[in-house]
Amino acid sequence: MKKILLSVLLSAPLWVLGQGFQVNLQGQKQIGMAGAGSALPLDEASVFYNPGAVSFLENNSISAGVNPLLFKSAFRLSGSNLTEEVKNKIAPPFEAYAVWGPKSNKWKLGLGVYTPFGGMVDWGNDWSGRYALTSLNLKAIYFQPTLSVKITDRIGIGAGFVYNHGEVNLQRALPVNFPDGRSGHATLEGTGKGYGWNAGLYIKTLSNISFAIVHKSKVITKLDGGTAEFDVPNSLRSSFPAGNTFNAELPLPATTTLGIGIPLSKSTTLAFDASWVQWHIYQELAFDYATNTSALADTKSARKYRDGSSFKLGINHQASEKLALRAGVGYAFSPVQDGYVTPEAPDADRYILSAGLGYTPTRHFEVNASFFFEDVKERKQKNIETGLDGTFKTLVYAPGLSLTYKW
Amino acid sequence: MVGDIDMKKIILNSFVAATILFAASCKPEIETPAGTSAGSANFSKYIAVGNSLTSGFADGGLYLEGQKVAYPNLIAAKMASVGGGSFTSPFFTDAQANGSGYLTLSALVNGTPTLNNVTTNLAYRDATHLTKYTGEVQNLGIPGMRVDLAFSAAYAAVNPYSERLLTDAQLGSTTYFQFIQGRNHTFFSLWLGNNDALGWATNGGVTVDATNVLTDKSTFALLYSNLVNSLTAGGQKGVVGTIPDVTAVPYFNTVTVAALLNAAKAINPAAAAIYIQTGTNTVRPATADDLIRLPFQSAGLFGVANAAGLPYGLHPLNPIANNWVLDKDEVIKVKDYVNSYNSSIKSLASSKGLAVADTYSYLNLVKAGVTIQGIGINSAFITGGAFSLDGIHLTPRGNAVIGNVFIDAINSTYGSAIPTIDITQYRGVKFPN
Repeated sequence: MKKILLSVLLSAPLWVLGQGFQVNLQGQKQIGMAGAGSALPLDEASVFYNPGAVSFLENNSISAGVNPLLFKSAFRLSGSNLTEEVKNKIAPPFEAYAVWGPKSNKWKLGLGVYTPFGGMVDWGNDWSGRYALTSLNLKAIYFQPTLSVKITDRIGIGAGFVYNHGEVNLQRALPVNFPDGRSGHATLEGTGKGYGWNAGLYIKTLSNISFAIVHKSKVITKLDGGTAEFDVPNSLRSSFPAGNTFNAELPLPATTTLGIGIPLSKSTTLAFDASWVQWHIYQELAFDYATNTSALADTKSARKYRDGSSFKLGINHQASEKLALRAGVGYAFSPVQDGYVTPEAPDADRYILSAGLGYTPTRHFEVNASFFFEDVKERKQKNIETGLDGTFKTLVYAPGLSLTYKW
Repeated sequence: MVGDIDMKKIILNSFVAATILFAASCKPEIETPAGTSAGSANFSKYIAVGNSLTSGFADGGLYLEGQKVAYPNLIAAKMASVGGGSFTSPFFTDAQANGSGYLTLSALVNGTPTLNNVTTNLAYRDATHLTKYTGEVQNLGIPGMRVDLAFSAAYAAVNPYSERLLTDAQLGSTTYFQFIQGRNHTFFSLWLGNNDALGWATNGGVTVDATNVLTDKSTFALLYSNLVNSLTAGGQKGVVGTIPDVTAVPYFNTVTVAALLNAAKAINPAAAAIYIQTGTNTVRPATADDLIRLPFQSAGLFGVANAAGLPYGLHPLNPIANNWVLDKDEVIKVKDYVNSYNSSIKSLASSKGLAVADTYSYLNLVKAGVTIQGIGINSAFITGGAFSLDGIHLTPRGNAVIGNVFIDAINSTYGSAIPTIDITQYRGVKFPN
């Protein structure tokens, strides 16, 4: 039975593609399992992974964790013999959750604060793609109050409202030269907000195999009145007026996840998640400047993302009463089509490997640690818009740690 | 409690391990074929034969900054990883870095440039002669050099850029053709012939002296083959460049008839036409097919009334003089000559198995606009990024772009792997701050 279920899911049409700016670091236990776990009421991170499973959590709890992420991307210009790398910058995806409900009742309240999308790349001001991008720092912080209800002993539903606080800082060199030869520079910086929701269904069958269906809606994040700063020679100042502002919109995609939890033994559970990330809403990156000039038109850069998908398989083994060990593997299909790969998200299909452990010294405290690794495949690309022609290769390293208090 | 200690150790050890892994942070590696092959070519001694473009002439002058980023110098630097040797150029000294002097942009108001001449740190040893350069030279580009005049010892003696390279004994007896010989080269580039057409065109299709003759087509073919035969006499391999369409440069595309007419209408709404004197000495209203030379912009002639009170260029009795205009028949003529030169160059290259850097086709692409490494490049004056302030010669960025056209041609012909030039390392026009 278990085998059949797995093979059915694995043979499902390979739903399109999955990463882009998505950050798959929302709960140390699930991270240790490659990001699978929507069909397991593992802990308070179910607020993110499946609000429907929150009502099945045994304890009230509060937790906070961080996953310092090192995004190591390299680029080689076509025909060149030099490899250029991004600067080592640590991005700090974090997550905090709280779950509370009267012990005997069928409902629980939850709150999640997490960073499901983001990007931090700094290629420096001298690299061969500097006129396409020098650096990007993008953060989306989701706040999600949630209600979860146990409909029966085996079925739970839950939903949460999502408020996104987004921040972006995008920089690139401009191909105009000062008298000393140095290039101009553009910095676009702004904050924005968006709204969405996250809802899930959790079903535990009689055989104790559990299922999950979770949908996280798209969140259209609007940036209004961001600052557009152009460092250009004074003779071009009238073309790039000082104090300019811009509006932009960053659509963050909906994700639909099907999950299965399979108890292999009393102490070992397998989790499988298949996610369909509806990146097709990211068709263009448009900047609408408050002041346009003959040299500064509004820009619309085609991104033309397709939908993405990911498949994650994780295992959780309770080695002793106090120690849990976890591991996971995954594969994700890129939403970025050929010709649209950019240095801001040098995306390609990727492998995911993870490991984690949990330690419960007392009834109230829990420490969880994880190590998450992604190997993004080498991809040779010529970008249609910028003509940037070369090969990207990226490795992602993210160790993580969280602390939990339960009662 | 023993168990607890073990687990703490496990956690601790795991984190130490993770941290070490993190710190080592295995670099992403990009697997590419090793860029070390010279293929069937030998780059150990490269010489570059050509004119101003080869010398690094830019902004209306030859000066040290331009010399250093001449396309042959950029190519030679990239040849280093595929067996290339040193590459010597007749650089001006730092004290005389401004060489012949050159133009700078001192203001840009509503798109109208003000150009100034740099007159300090020049390299003149007297009023007309540049400081001599002695020593090995592999960048043999001579501003003004033509295919026909490459065989004139008299011209080599009067051209200030070749004169500075010749010894007193060679003056008047050595031609450019002779000067480039005996250099034991293993590889060459030859991009010559532009001035055989451009000299005439930039004089408005008027021949005054030997530097603005439109070289006869069959003479060109014969002399060009003499050059190639000499450069390949030892079986050397090389690359030849085609001659760009003279109308692909800002020099002929900036001062348009429409722009002049608009300027005239702004003052006198009744202005109906721009009048030109053609190569056949007829006067007629100009059309968009007639090209006006860039320097007309700052010549201070347009609209100025003559003794009879007729504004220059705006009245049939006071037309824009023939030498300012490459009229549409002259454009057709010069295009025809360039096409003929290029077919001679290509057929000769093909018979000798030489690489062809088709700058003619490439600069036609640039005319329409290309985007490379995030930089939009086109043939617009000043803002286009490829052409310097004289509207004909290349900026450092333009040299890098053309250098890659040569490298691509060499690599595809000889199976070599000369790395390409990162064009973002090179500037366009400098804008005043």
